[in-house]
Formats: sequence, structure tokens, C-alpha cells
Amino acid sequence: MAGVLPPAERRSSALVALYAGLSFFLLMVGDRIPQASLRSIGSTLFSPLDRVVLAGDRLAAAWLENQELHTRLVRLELENARLRVQAEENRRLREQLDLPGFRDPSLKPVEVLALSGDRIPSAITLSAGGHGGVHEGDIVVTSEGLVGRVAEVYPFTSRASLLTDPNSAVACEVESTGVLGILRFTASPKPALGLTAVPFADTVVVGQRVLTSGLSRRYPRGIPVGRVSSIGKDPGGLVQTITIEPAARFTRLRHVFLIAGPGPEPRR
Amino acid sequence: MRGIGAALTGMFTVLLLRSTLLAGLAARGIVFDVLALATVFWGLRGGAGWGASFGFVIGLCADLDAAHWLGRHALGLSLLGYLVGRLSGTLVRDSVSTQFLLLVLATAAHQAWSIAFELGGFLAWPEVLLRVVVGAIATGILGATVLAFTNRWKGPFAASGKAI
Repeated sequence: MAGVLPPAERRSSALVALYAGLSFFLLMVGDRIPQASLRSIGSTLFSPLDRVVLAGDRLAAAWLENQELHTRLVRLELENARLRVQAEENRRLREQLDLPGFRDPSLKPVEVLALSGDRIPSAITLSAGGHGGVHEGDIVVTSEGLVGRVAEVYPFTSRASLLTDPNSAVACEVESTGVLGILRFTASPKPALGLTAVPFADTVVVGQRVLTSGLSRRYPRGIPVGRVSSIGKDPGGLVQTITIEPAARFTRLRHVFLIAGPGPEPRR
Repeated sequence: MRGIGAALTGMFTVLLLRSTLLAGLAARGIVFDVLALATVFWGLRGGAGWGASFGFVIGLCADLDAAHWLGRHALGLSLLGYLVGRLSGTLVRDSVSTQFLLLVLATAAHQAWSIAFELGGFLAWPEVLLRVVVGAIATGILGATVLAFTNRWKGPFAASGKAI
């Protein structure tokens, strides 16, 4: 076959065979190849241009967001005044019961430079890295709720895995019921976040809020994750299939906040 | 040397757009498959060797960015670039309808190939079909428009390209 092809076509056929072979090899062993350093180089190269490309979009969004935030600010100021009174009352009651007090997490604002993922974003590039005090394992949130956690830290940027990452798992609880489950993303049959491992006997109602339970040690307790949007029965009949509507809007991530996490995962 | 420079600039631009402006649109359901679009463009312009090389390198960059299934885009796009390059010798490359059809087929093939890795079974076929059709039509329209402008600006494809 190769003998009947002109030289240029023979060369391109050999080239594509080489590429196909290399790709197959990478598909088989790619997960064992360290890729973080290559992504670090890519992130350093692209981050200044990401900012330029996104400047117009960010400006228009900031103008619209500003109007919305003014209204929200007034509403929250009123709510805050009421909560301060209740917090003081709560503090005094906890003192009487000898319970430890709550600790407010410190929030570090960072910009989202790029999204990764073909349709549903599964990772984001953040504008701060190791030099900006970001650490692997830091928790990424928005004002609405949990987004994910920092997976890789580069000198000036970092990369965070979102809840929509196929490898992500978050220990959660349904608010005020104590029902526990594990939040996972499933791409099939429809991309969705689901609360798994919830026994069939546990009562969960559509609309209830889902928060982090703090049982996985990766995330502190009480961060909003989303709301129960539908409940179904698992084919096995032992657990429920609960779909969660995420609190954070993954399609509109522009700025996020970092909360200091427990640190990097121990290497296996 | 100029060809390599142009290919690298093209790759850089495509990857930049993919992770910024187009990522937001993709998350809302409108997928412009710029990886397939750029590979088809390079295959048409430079032939099979250029198409395969461009597809492989840009695919590898996209795989690294995705952090899962390294080699997935590289394999699909290098084959796509090669096939488009081979076809470019027999097709009327400067016809808008040919380019549109080629882009629709190329995007559908690339989308179907890359989605297959994300899904666990065949239950999701309505979602996959919708995603492939929307992506193919959106990319076909965008790509044919871009190629028409490029032809007008830089001249027809027949005038450029050097086989490797």
C-alpha cells in the first residue's frame, strides 16, 4: 500500500501512524505520567492573556452585578443586625452548656482566569498561587456556596478541581435532618450532582438545603452545597437517588474566595 | 519556519479562546468545537501531514488541560487532521458548502469521540446526540463563516500550504 503512495503522502501516513501510536500509549499510561509541572508552564504562559481576553466581559458583568449587589447589601445589613442579636444570645447559651464556640473562616478573594472541561467545567485556573499564600487543599467557595478545592499550586497561579470533577467526592448532610451522604458528579445519563449512599429509610424532601458535613476532613462543616431538586429510588432499593441543584453557579464563575484547608492529601 | 510559527500562534489563540470566552458558552450548552475547527482549517490549508501534526499537538495540549484521559483529543484530532488533509486534494476546498459539511462531520466525529470517555453507558444517548448535533451545527456555521473571511483576506487555500 505504502509503495503506491507518492512520497509526501507516505510521509504523512507514517506521521499519523506515529501520532496514533503515541496517543494510544498515552491513553494507557497517561495517568501515571506527572502532568502538574506541564500544566504549571501552560498556566504561567496563558494567565496574562486570560486577563486581557476576559477584561471586557468582566467589566460588563461587574456593572450589572454592582446594581444587584447594592440591593443585596441593604437586605443583608438588616438581616445581619438581627443575626448579631441572635449570635450574642447563642454565645451566652453555649457558654452555659460548655460547648466550643464557632470560628469564622478568613476569606481570600481570587479571580477565575480560565475554565477547563469540555462542556461542564471540571477545573478552574485561579489568579493566585504559592507566592500569594495559596495552598493545596484550600477550599474554594463563592457567596452562594461550595465550588471545589485547590488541587495544584503553581508559583503565580493555581488550579482548583470543581465539584463537577469526576473524581470529586464531598461528605454532606441535609440541613436540620442530619441525613448524611456523599456528593458526586455523574456524567451519565445526564450531567448532574447527586447525593449518594443515603439509605432508603432516611427522609429527605425536595427543596432542603445540603451542606458539607465535615466528616471527610477535606471540607469544614456547614458550607452550603446546594438544594435537593429530585429524589428517586435506586434500582437496588437500598439507597435513594438524590439530585442536587448546586448553590454556586459553575457557568458564571468570575471571582471566588479561598478558605484555608486541611492541607495536601497524603501521597500514596 | 513561517508555517510552524503560524501553527503555534493558531494553537495558542484556539486554546486561549477555548478556556476563556468559549468555556462560558459551552457551559450554557452551545459548544463551539474550536479544536476540530482549527484542525480542519489546518488540514485543508496544509494537507494531511500538517493536519495530523496540528491535530496531535493541539489535542495533547487540550488533554493536559483537562487532566483526564491523556491522549483522547490527541488521537481523535490527529486522525481528523489527516483525513481532512487527504480529502482536501479531492474536494472543492474553497466552496463554502463543502467547508460547512466537512466542519459539521468533523465536529460531530470529534464530539462523539470525546464524549464517549465521559459517559458510563448508552443510557445517555439523547443527551449525547443533542450535544453532538448542537456542537456540529454551531461549529459548522462559525467555521464556514471564518473560512470564508479568511479566503477573502488571504486568498484561496490552493495558493498556500506545503506538505510535510
